[in-house]
Amino acid sequence: MDPVLPDYIVELAATARRAFAELGGVDLARQAEADPRARELAGDALAALGALDIDPLADADQALAALALCREAGRVALPYPLEAMLCRHDGAVVVLVDPADPLVDHADLLDPMLAVDLAGQVHHATVAGPALGSRLGPFAVPVELQPHDGFADVDAPATIAWALSSATVLGYVEGAVDLCVEHVRTRHQFDQRLADFQAVQFQIADAVVAASGLAELALFTVWRISELGAGARVDALALRLHAADVARTAMRTAQQLHGASGVAEEYDVSVLCRRVQATLRSPVSSERNLDTLTAAIRQEGFASLFPHGRERVST
Amino acid sequence: MDFDFGADADALRAELRSLIAAEVPADFLGAFTDDPNDLAIAQRFCARLAAERLLTLAWPVEYGGRGGSVWDQTVVREEMWAHHEPRGAQYMGVNWVGPAIMAFGTDEQKALHLPAIGAGEVIWCQGFSEPDAGSDLASLRAKAVAVDGGWKITGQKIWTSYAEMAQWCVLAARVGSGEKKHDGITLFLVPMDTLGITVRPIASSLGRHHLNEVFFDDVVVDDNAVLGGVGNGWQAIRHALAFERVGIARYARCDRLLSALEAELGDGFDELPHAVRASWTRALVAVRVARLLAYRATHLQAEGTPADTAASVARIAVTQADQLVAEALFQALDSSSLRDKASGAVLHGAVEDHYRYAQAATVASGTIEIQRMIVGRSTVGRA
Ligand SMILES: Cc1cc2nc3c(=O)[nH]c(=O)nc-3n(C[C@H](O)[C@H](O)[C@H](O)COP(=O)(O)OP(=O)(O)OC[C@H]3O[C@@H](n4cnc5c(N)ncnc54)[C@H](O)[C@@H]3O)c2cc1C
Repeated sequence: MDPVLPDYIVELAATARRAFAELGGVDLARQAEADPRARELAGDALAALGALDIDPLADADQALAALALCREAGRVALPYPLEAMLCRHDGAVVVLVDPADPLVDHADLLDPMLAVDLAGQVHHATVAGPALGSRLGPFAVPVELQPHDGFADVDAPATIAWALSSATVLGYVEGAVDLCVEHVRTRHQFDQRLADFQAVQFQIADAVVAASGLAELALFTVWRISELGAGARVDALALRLHAADVARTAMRTAQQLHGASGVAEEYDVSVLCRRVQATLRSPVSSERNLDTLTAAIRQEGFASLFPHGRERVST
Repeated sequence: MDFDFGADADALRAELRSLIAAEVPADFLGAFTDDPNDLAIAQRFCARLAAERLLTLAWPVEYGGRGGSVWDQTVVREEMWAHHEPRGAQYMGVNWVGPAIMAFGTDEQKALHLPAIGAGEVIWCQGFSEPDAGSDLASLRAKAVAVDGGWKITGQKIWTSYAEMAQWCVLAARVGSGEKKHDGITLFLVPMDTLGITVRPIASSLGRHHLNEVFFDDVVVDDNAVLGGVGNGWQAIRHALAFERVGIARYARCDRLLSALEAELGDGFDELPHAVRASWTRALVAVRVARLLAYRATHLQAEGTPADTAASVARIAVTQADQLVAEALFQALDSSSLRDKASGAVLHGAVEDHYRYAQAATVASGTIEIQRMIVGRSTVGRA
């Protein structure tokens, strides 16, 4: 039992954080909304970090490296399809879609694409139009799905895709909570720091507990995937459910404690809360994910101290 | 990074499970029920654990332990709590009274108390809380006055778990009337049969034998009763509470009950309302998260890193998961959740028992609000 991240993963995360800060941090997300070509800067920075050579399915180290990069990318809402770039199969990137309205963030930068839906069906996906340009989905691109005939074993990349999207959400959550802590420490009302109101401290504490728990679950899940590959699908779905639950509450707190600045574009927290939606809602929202997870637990069990699921599998 | 406990810990878990299966009846719900036989079962089980040197497994060898790792200790905590703490009240002695005596006790105190705790022969209680000193423990008023060769103690304690069964009490009392609240607080190791001690049980939803009031009327103890020096009690209390906070692996019983009730329901599980199955799944995930946070706190403690905040983070998650699970289980049972062991509940009343205990989880050993205060303050820092 050793829950410690290896030093070089910690260093990689620190290097990535510096690199993203040099690009302007959350400003790059703003720029890219005005001019999508700004995304190339993110792509170049990721290439310089060696991100595109990482194969998270190869071993635990690379899985952790992928997690660390997605987490750092989330902290600044990095405008780039990093998760998709990290989930590859046979020269194609693997993305998750909802066939009812297939949207893929930054799909215009991804080619060729294999898309996997919640039922595990595999499709070819091609860009079907321009990005939505909406406030909550500025880079979400409609794609067209064609049935994939023939066999493509994308279970493992799809599993890691669920986990990495959760790592991105974790980054968003941690970024927002850090901004919130900074804000309540510096803003004064009623002649004292907001941070000195107990009602504020309690909300911060709950957000910290939630973010810490999500971070632990993310590490654990990535470790499971590195041991079991697609066998850890249940774990990846559980992580994704929890990431969505935590993001909803902790990021809401972060936004709320900013007061009106929480919805002002010039405040980073506002951009984070807006941009996280693209990851949170796509391919499906948490309750549909939850249904899939419940069925999967009944089928496959849930690694724990005692057996769960219809098969009573104890791991 | 590796979340596997390893083969030795797995073997220990298996050993404990088979011991429990052999020694503890399947319908055991803890030592504090109305049935006096349950206490006897716990006492027997402790003796058996002690004989296998499993009771104080994590203690250093010089104090009669096996020098087990914190992960071995974690396995013990998990298996014990999961199976309704068949050590009964003794977990307190093993978890923190013993370690506090190791850390702060005199050689004489170590020689007197550690072997007895290690043998599973003695029950300790914790006399900290008072009617007017709960969360604000440092405002306690029980008084110790120096008398010839010892101390005379007067005051009242409340919510004292197991006081009726205990042979010894770690009592917090104040010596002198210091400038600051923490001044003068002193710990005393007091035999419960000392003249002047009266125990009065408090009826509670936890069952008859859990909570008590303890009155100290001119109780005289000798100088050897002082633990860690006069006026040094606060430091020892903090030490003790840090152990206590990660001491109960509530998530393990949650895990076992979610598993057991699912098995009991069989295919009926799939007939549960959709929302109930959904909260079941969320509860399972919350239990996993709570367990991982507890492991983080344990890891930091083992590294010697001050883990106050991590311990509080873990306790908030663990106690909330406890209540989330209690509710999820009750949702699945509908009105039959009202049945207890005697009135024919499923799983011998284990779910009903869990629900009642879970309601106190966010109060016992420091309320969740106090934990939030610790986490909140350490996060935002001082002005
Ligand atoms: C099952 C159980 C077993 C126990 N066993 C023992 C034992 O063996 N020995 C022992 O000494 N004690 C024991 N206790 C007592 C326990 O330690 C206290 O109940 C606990 O510390 C809270 O104190 P209180 O009950 O006086 O509540 P109070 O301190 O009066 O608190 C009441 C409410 O106010 C909130 N509150 C208090 N102060 C603040 C603040 N500053 N800011 C915000 N909110 C605040 C609390 O969080 C709580 O919600 C036990 C309690 C329980 C439930």
